Amino acid sequence: MNTDTTKNMSKYIPRRDFLKKTAMAAAATVVAPYILPSGRLFAATGNRVANHVVFCLFAGGIRNIESVQKQRGNLMPSLLSGGASVDPIIAAGMDSLPTIPGSSLQSQGTLFNQFRYAQGPTGHFNGHSTAITGSYTLQDLNIKEPPRNPTVFEYYRKHSDPNQSALNAWWVSNTLGPYPSLNYSTYPGYGALYGANYMQPSTLISDDGLNALSNPRIFSSSEGEKINSLRNFFNDSFAIQSQAEGSSVSNGMNDSDLLQSFIRQQLINAQNGQATNPWGVGASMNGDMYNVYYAEQIIQEFNPELLVVNMQGVDICHSNFTEYCNNLRKADYAVGKLWQTIQNTPGMANDTILIVAPEHGRNLEPNTILDSFGQPAIDHTSDSTSREIFCMVVGPAGKVNQGLVINDITGESIDIVPTIGHILGFRDSIPGGMLSGRVLNEAIV
Amino acid sequence: MNMLDLNNKLMRYILYASISLLFILNSCKKETVFVYEVDPVTSRKDDINKGIPKSTVEFISIAYSDVFGNTISQNNLSRLTLLYLAFGDKRLIEDLLVKNMLNSPNVSLMSNSQMRSDIPGFVQTIYSRLFNREPNELEAFSLEKSIIDDTELTPELIYYSMMTSDEYRYY
Repeated sequence: MNTDTTKNMSKYIPRRDFLKKTAMAAAATVVAPYILPSGRLFAATGNRVANHVVFCLFAGGIRNIESVQKQRGNLMPSLLSGGASVDPIIAAGMDSLPTIPGSSLQSQGTLFNQFRYAQGPTGHFNGHSTAITGSYTLQDLNIKEPPRNPTVFEYYRKHSDPNQSALNAWWVSNTLGPYPSLNYSTYPGYGALYGANYMQPSTLISDDGLNALSNPRIFSSSEGEKINSLRNFFNDSFAIQSQAEGSSVSNGMNDSDLLQSFIRQQLINAQNGQATNPWGVGASMNGDMYNVYYAEQIIQEFNPELLVVNMQGVDICHSNFTEYCNNLRKADYAVGKLWQTIQNTPGMANDTILIVAPEHGRNLEPNTILDSFGQPAIDHTSDSTSREIFCMVVGPAGKVNQGLVINDITGESIDIVPTIGHILGFRDSIPGGMLSGRVLNEAIV
Repeated sequence: MNMLDLNNKLMRYILYASISLLFILNSCKKETVFVYEVDPVTSRKDDINKGIPKSTVEFISIAYSDVFGNTISQNNLSRLTLLYLAFGDKRLIEDLLVKNMLNSPNVSLMSNSQMRSDIPGFVQTIYSRLFNREPNELEAFSLEKSIIDDTELTPELIYYSMMTSDEYRYY
């Protein structure tokens, strides 16, 4: 606008209106470039629902019939409201577990009763891969390689601003097998550089771990300086230094020291018996519970912004239905303890959203194996019932809708990654077309 | 027969004679024998050609041999391999493994006095043992100088630095 035009306009518009409109136009000029296609005023990063997400893959294959439909009683009293007593036929096969005080997680969040693992084979690794990448595994999976599509950890670390360190992203699995490879993908532009720290506690924190890892040579600071100087010299002489990076997730030197101290401390605690019966449940403590216990240790030590932990003890259902129900109760107890720990951890209490979902369900029809209580075992071979799961989103009032139960078919496995992205404020920074799922807005305030 | 025919015959005769003489002279020349062969050289691996990262099993078994001077048992190798898989940051777990190995009472390293009694020999030996090659002149000079200049630089620190360097992860 040149001076003459300004003068001409000022002849016909009252001075106050002119100044007001000019100010608004100037403000619009400044603000408009920051309005995103999504309609939000500011970039997604920083606009978070909460600063921490814990995603518990309640895995191993759980039918809605035994979980949210409670046909054998309420086998998940920590998660689900209601006191339906356990079917007496299987009750004798249940280990004793104390009740976790406080209200159920259901009352502290939103329950999707008819969630779906809609596509892909109902295999454990397929289900895990889908939940962690937000993409169904419709092609053959190579279980010896990381997934083809980026994991939630890579989206989080790459698209958060500022970029987040690996110390903030964790994947804790109950077994080895193919599961260690789920902490990053082979997708171009993502990969190990943005991967999560991975830990499989039952192997690492073990007698073998104690023998091989718990007694390292501790170098003094002056020795450390000499080592760094020498190592830099050797690295400078090596022609393909850059290729040494990228073959696994990597922590910086300071974070690496913290992690080594953490591992050593866990080994020493285990040696001292502190991890033998950490929840006071005696022989009821199973592998799932130990896995969640070590996830709690990570939470207390590092306050990670994104942690994914799984359990798979219920998969015994292929041969023992009653033990499946028993392990379902233990998994429920573990999630109750996990939420308790989160709420007792400064930095994460009241600022964490917990998402709980199985990776897939199990068949409607049983197989021919009967357990000692005469109950038939159940496989998971991609029938329609094995695609029916639940999802629970738990969090503080004001962030998560409390006590809401959605009974119609709503939500899919691939929606969990976008929902995590929304909670942690990086969803809108992910390039379009990479995630086909949606944010589970029903749960978020 | 005219003069022209006579000249032609004469020229042809001279030509034949010259060629024959050339063959005779050449055929009488002593034959030179050429022998092609390669001078004896000591082969060694160049770091430029190290482009293959060691596998988990290779790293652990080689590190064990380098520190303890003997071969790791299959049982121990299997156990350490599982530990290696159980943590995502491979460099971190390698570092922790190596530090634990170096802290073992069974470690088989050259003593500080042995190193200082023959520093050039130590440098040659450690490059050969850990990097599977000889040091170039700059590398040898620099490491020897570091050892001479710093009396607190021990074989253990040099071992640890080399075993946690980029080159040690490749063969």
